[in-house]
Amino acid sequence: MTQPEPDLRDALLAAVPSLRAFAISLSGQIDRADDLVQDTLLRALSNLHRFEPGTNLNAWLFTILRNLFHSEYRKRRREVEDPDGSYAGRLKVQPEQGSRLDFEDFRTALAKLPHDQREALLLVGASGFSYEEAASICGCAVGTIKSRVNRARFRLASVLNVNDVDDLGPDSMTRAALQSSV
Amino acid sequence: MQMTGEKGNKLARVIPEGSLSDKLESDPKLDSTSQKRIGDQLRAMYDELVQQPVPDRFRNLLDLLEEKDQERST
Repeated sequence: MTQPEPDLRDALLAAVPSLRAFAISLSGQIDRADDLVQDTLLRALSNLHRFEPGTNLNAWLFTILRNLFHSEYRKRRREVEDPDGSYAGRLKVQPEQGSRLDFEDFRTALAKLPHDQREALLLVGASGFSYEEAASICGCAVGTIKSRVNRARFRLASVLNVNDVDDLGPDSMTRAALQSSV
Repeated sequence: MQMTGEKGNKLARVIPEGSLSDKLESDPKLDSTSQKRIGDQLRAMYDELVQQPVPDRFRNLLDLLEEKDQERST
């Protein structure tokens, strides 16, 4: 599995779709995401000696990508003050259609999350990493990841009106639940 | 806050089962239906991204590096 050349090439190529999905979701821009993925692959290849065979290659690659994203993010932050995250502004916003969710609404809501929460939620809720893996990717405690994921979900739910109990009341909550389960 | 220990049941309501020593108990909690909806939506959005075809640049890049590597090792 961790033999040198051809297998590694295939393994890296196989990791590209999920790296891209993560990079796009983090940065909100496909071009930038692809540059990030490319830099990740190059860095992985030049640091192969640091990869421990038998450990999770994907987690290692995600760690590299995440670190690259953060150093770039910090650089850009200094260049352009962008308190809301330029990410949010670039995304198409469609008019609300009641409490119905669609991807645009969801992406916009995701873009509004603090970046550490977005990252934690993407790793655990979308990329399928365990809390422990996500903690090691982000270089923080497992409890911190759990807390971020939890807060991210909560914020998304309130932005998307999924959780607006006062507004919906028990009946429409049931309806909402029925809708979502189909 | 109440450290007398006797009326322990007053504290019990705050702590859901399995809540660990983390800051979790102070975080807002979602009901499971909402949590599922958010999770489903997130995965649907993400899967759409994962399904996208891999741009040629990555395949080319890896091929190129592999060739270079073989040249070096021969």
